[in-house]
Amino acid sequence: MAGPLLSVDDLHTQFDTEEGTVKAVDGVSFDVREGETVCLVGESGSGKTVACESITKLVPRPPGRITGGEVRFDGEDLTELSGKALREYRGGRIGHVFQNPQEALDPVYTVGDQLVEAIRLHRDVPKAAARERAAELLDRVGIGDVSERIDDYPHQFSGGMKQRVVIAMALACDPDLLIADEPTTALDVTIQAQVLRLLNDLQDEHGMAMLFVTHDLGVVAEIADRVVVMYAGKVMETGDVYQVFEDPSHPYTRALLECLPGRGRALDTIGGTLPDPTSPPDGCRFHPRCPHAVPECETDGQPGFRDVGGGHDVSCLLHDDRHDLPRAMEADDD
Amino acid sequence: MPSTELESARFTSVDWATESGGWRSVRLRTAGLAAALLVVAALFAYDYVVAPRELFEFLDWDVTRIDWLFLVSTVLFVRYAVVPLAANRDRAAAYTAEFVRRPAGVFSLAYIVVFGVLGVVGPEVFGLARVDFAAKVQPPVFASVNTDNIRNYDCVGRMVGEYCHGTWQYPLGTTRVGEDMVKIIVYGVRIGLQLALSAAMIMVVVATAVGTAAGYLGGWVDDLLMGYVDVQQTVPAIVVYIILAQMYLGKGLFALALVFGLLDWGGIARLVRSEAVQRRSDGFVRAARSAGASDLHVVRKHVIPNSTATIVTALTRQIPLLVLAQVALAYLKLNNVAYRSLGEVLLRGLSANPVAWHVKWWITAFVTLFLVLTVVAFNVFGDVVRDVLDPQEEVA
Repeated sequence: MAGPLLSVDDLHTQFDTEEGTVKAVDGVSFDVREGETVCLVGESGSGKTVACESITKLVPRPPGRITGGEVRFDGEDLTELSGKALREYRGGRIGHVFQNPQEALDPVYTVGDQLVEAIRLHRDVPKAAARERAAELLDRVGIGDVSERIDDYPHQFSGGMKQRVVIAMALACDPDLLIADEPTTALDVTIQAQVLRLLNDLQDEHGMAMLFVTHDLGVVAEIADRVVVMYAGKVMETGDVYQVFEDPSHPYTRALLECLPGRGRALDTIGGTLPDPTSPPDGCRFHPRCPHAVPECETDGQPGFRDVGGGHDVSCLLHDDRHDLPRAMEADDD
Repeated sequence: MPSTELESARFTSVDWATESGGWRSVRLRTAGLAAALLVVAALFAYDYVVAPRELFEFLDWDVTRIDWLFLVSTVLFVRYAVVPLAANRDRAAAYTAEFVRRPAGVFSLAYIVVFGVLGVVGPEVFGLARVDFAAKVQPPVFASVNTDNIRNYDCVGRMVGEYCHGTWQYPLGTTRVGEDMVKIIVYGVRIGLQLALSAAMIMVVVATAVGTAAGYLGGWVDDLLMGYVDVQQTVPAIVVYIILAQMYLGKGLFALALVFGLLDWGGIARLVRSEAVQRRSDGFVRAARSAGASDLHVVRKHVIPNSTATIVTALTRQIPLLVLAQVALAYLKLNNVAYRSLGEVLLRGLSANPVAWHVKWWITAFVTLFLVLTVVAFNVFGDVVRDVLDPQEEVA
C-alpha cells in the first residue's frame, strides 16, 4: 500500500462550553505508517487525547465537535463516515486502550464475557469459538491460570492485570492500528515496564501500527519510531525519535527534555502554565513561556513548519533564515 | 502459564470464515420470552373470542384486565429478574450471602419472598374469606372481647363471664360479618402484588427508556424529555386516576395500575437519567464504544445493567406507595377490587357497628400492621439492594 496507514490532516476538534469554545485540537497533522510506532507527546491538556479520540470520532458530542480536517485511514476519510460504517473501524481495524484500566472494564460482567463481546461485535462467530479466542488472548497478554480467571470479575484483578485485559480487548479483532492513550500512566513503574514490553511484543507479532499517547519522554525513548510533540492543541515538532531527542529544535521540546530527571543536573520545570484554552495567545502558542521568544512570535498565528533535516519538522520562527539561532539552541553539549 | 515466547498464538491464525456461524445465534432467553408472550397473547385471543366468561371450562377463572396485565408483567419479571439470577448462580449466591449478612436484609428479603409467594398462591391455598355470621367479631388468639353490646353473638372459643376468648381457628380474629382476618390480609397481599408488579413493570419500562435516552443522548433530547417529566410531575396521578376511573376505565385495579404506571414514573426516570449521565463518561462505556459497539448496544449492555441498583431501589420506594394508594382509594370507595380490599375492611373496622372500633381493635390494628410492615420491608429492601447490588462499590 502506498501512503501512510493513518494520515491526520489539519484536524480541528472543539468543545462548546459555557466559558466559550475550547479548540482542543487546532489544525493537527501527522501520519502513522504501517507497523510504525508514533508517540504523541505533550503536557496534560495539550490535546493529545482529544486528537486520538477524534480519529474514530469518539469525542462525545455534544459538547465535542470535529470542525475540520481529514482523517485518512487506509485511504478512507473517517470524518466522512456514518456511524455504522465507523463502527466497523472502531475495534475492528483500530483498537483503543485507555488510560485508566480501573474504569475501562464493566464491573457487571466477567472479563471473559467482555472479551467475547468485543470479539462478537465484529466477528459473526458462535459464543464458544469467541470464548476460546478470548482465552487465548488472555493467555497471550500474560494472565496466568486463564481457565480460572476468565470467569472472574474485574474487581478481582489488580490494576496491571486489568490493563492487560484491556489490551487483550483492543487486540480482539486484530486491528491494523492500536491507539494507546497513556496506557501505563495509572500503573506503577515495574508494571509499566511489563506492559510496555507486552505492547512492543504484540506489535511485532501482529505487525500493527501504534499511536501511543504519553507525557513520559522516558517511555517515548523506549518505544517510539517517530514523535509528534503537541502543545495547546498544535503540533510543535515532529520527527524521528533520534532526531527529536538528539536535536530538539523547538524550544518547547527542549524544555520538555530538560524536565526529564537524570540528565545530570537539578530538575528543571517549564515556567508558567498552559494558556487559557478558550483564548489561546496569538502567534506561537508557546511564546508566553518561551525563553527565546522574539516580538515576531506574538503575531500571525502558529508559524509554518520548517524542515530542519530528514523529515524533522519544526513550527518555530527561530529556524527561519531571518533569525540567528540563540546560543542556547545550538546543539546540546552537556 | 502465559506463553512468553514469541510464537504466534493460535488466535492470529484462526480462520474466521470457517468459525463463523453465518448468523447470530438467537439467544435462548429471547426465544423463551417471545414464546411466553405469544402464549399469553394466544390465551388472550382465546379468552376474548371463544370463552369470554371464563378461561377454560374446567378452570373456573374469569380472567380480568388486571389479570392479563399481571400475567404479562410476570413474564417480563421472570425474564429480566429471575432468569438472570438463576443463570448466574455465583452472583445470585453472592448477593444472597451479602443479604443474609445484614439483619435488615434477612428481614426484608424474607418478608418480600413471603409477600411474593402469598400473593401468587395465597388466596388459593388459604381460601377466600367468607361471610359467616356465626363467627362474627371473634377476637384474635390470646385476646378477648367484651360481648355485652353485641346482639346474637356466638363465641367460637371460651366464654369467661362477658368475655369471649380468641381461638387458633381465627388467629387474627374476624370482622363484624365473620370474615377471617388472615384470609383478608392474604387477599390484600394478592391485590398488592398484582398492583405493584403491573404498575412497576410499566414504570420500569417507561422510566428506563426515557431516563437512559435523556441521560445518554443529552442535548435537546435531554431537555425535551426532562421538560416533559417536569410537566407530568405537576399532575398528580391520583387525580388523573379518579377522573379517568369515574369516566372511562372503571374503578378497578387495572385502571389504577395503568394510570399510576403511566404517570408516576417521573421520579424514577430522573434517577435513571442522572445514572446514565455518569455512566456515559465511564471508562467502560468509552471502551465499548471504541470497540465498535452501537449506542443501543452500549445502553442495553452497559448503561442499564449498571443502573440496576438505582432502578430497583427507586422501585422499592414506589411499590409501597402504590399499595397504600390503593388502600386509601378503596377506603374512599374510589377503587373496587374483585373481592375485599383492605381499604374497605379498614372502613368497616372503624365504623361503630356493631361495637365501637376500639372494642374490635384487631381489625384496624392488623390491617395497619400489615401496611406498616410492607412499607418498612420494601424500603429496607431497597436500602440493602443499593448496598449489595451497586456494581460501582466493587470497583473501589
